[in-house]
Amino acid sequence: MDMTYHKVVETVPVEKREAISDKLIDLVLTSKNDEKMPASLANTLLYHWQRNLLASDSGLATLLEAAVLLEPDKTVEVLEQEFQLVSTVKAVREVFMKAEK
Amino acid sequence: MEEVINVVKFGIEFVPREPYWKIIYYAIQAERRGFDYLWITDHFNNRNVYVTLAATAIYTNKITFGPGVTNPYLVNSVVTAQAVATLNEIAPGRVVLGIGAGDKTTLDCVGVEMQKPLTAVQESIEIVRRMMSGESVVFKGDVFTMAGAKFLFKPRGKIPVYVGAQGPKMLELAGKIGDGVLINACHPKDVDYAVECVKKGVSEACKKLTDVDIAAYTSFSVHEDLKKATKAAVPVVSYIVAGSPSIVLERHGIDLKKAEEIREALKASEWGRAFGLVSPEMIEAFSVCGTPDVCIERINQLLKSGISQFVVGSPIGPSVRKAIDLIGEKIIPHF
Repeated sequence: MDMTYHKVVETVPVEKREAISDKLIDLVLTSKNDEKMPASLANTLLYHWQRNLLASDSGLATLLEAAVLLEPDKTVEVLEQEFQLVSTVKAVREVFMKAEK
Repeated sequence: MEEVINVVKFGIEFVPREPYWKIIYYAIQAERRGFDYLWITDHFNNRNVYVTLAATAIYTNKITFGPGVTNPYLVNSVVTAQAVATLNEIAPGRVVLGIGAGDKTTLDCVGVEMQKPLTAVQESIEIVRRMMSGESVVFKGDVFTMAGAKFLFKPRGKIPVYVGAQGPKMLELAGKIGDGVLINACHPKDVDYAVECVKKGVSEACKKLTDVDIAAYTSFSVHEDLKKATKAAVPVVSYIVAGSPSIVLERHGIDLKKAEEIREALKASEWGRAFGLVSPEMIEAFSVCGTPDVCIERINQLLKSGISQFVVGSPIGPSVRKAIDLIGEKIIPHF
């Protein structure tokens, strides 16, 4: 898992994590970009889901990474428009740009 | 709403056209939401059923699972026995085997003839059971031959065998030799007929009807909004209509010409036209679809027909995840 997403999670208020996790898992499960999901990330995601930890720090970091990989635009839209998480979007963009370099 | 006093088990079907991680996500969710059985379809053009089931076995704890259904033509019975025996080591007591004749379209693709389907299924089940008992199988059947096939390991336990059946003779065979039967039907008219056929086989084998788990393997779609539930069911129903024999269509008063038009539209990949031709009568006949209350009513009707397991099959709902939650919250607790 990309550890930088743990930093991104720090910008997400605790009270919003459950709802965000719910939204992001929908994005990931309904995405048509399955081929972009690395097996190691998928397994980490399942590890957290099996333990009901998708809203935990590491669970949400995994979900964010998966959602950004599969559906970058929709992820930003959800974070920005539904949850008004400007600083999270900024952090996600930084991680994304760093990965592209 | 009329209450039916019965204990029904709930099953769910997944098609491994989806990547393994989506199927396993849903499997974990289904187990948590109270489903008893998980069935994974087996077609060569999708991902492998046993690999998917092995992963499912590791990520779940109590749900019973198996191929729903495999066939003896593409997978030799000893390989099927080997696969379920191995699965039963990973998840002891949680494995079932669904086996049927397969579908002609898929078998035609790989040049395999569906030779004597009744005999093939019967012989295959015998071979699987004998292999599972640790026997060295010498078998000379009409379709399959074994010249001393034996595992080099000791298979554990007994695997209940479910026969995937639609026609009267296969249903009768299922009643006679199966531990369960998977009936591809959604409507009481079809299920009533199927259960009568199963009863014949049960009585021929001097068994009790309760010895056989009778499962309705349905095309299912649930949503709080009826229109959304229906919209999701339409594509699946169009394929069922296109693949149904005239006798079944006539049983439901479905215009054969319209069915033929759907068949042609699907063949021409004209999805919009095909889906547009699907009528409310077709949806009623070939799916269990609607709000949770509507679905409960439909399940109650099928219980009266004598089913003991209700299998939620594709599409499950407009959103699979939300549909599983809805079934777990509003439908399963009702029973």
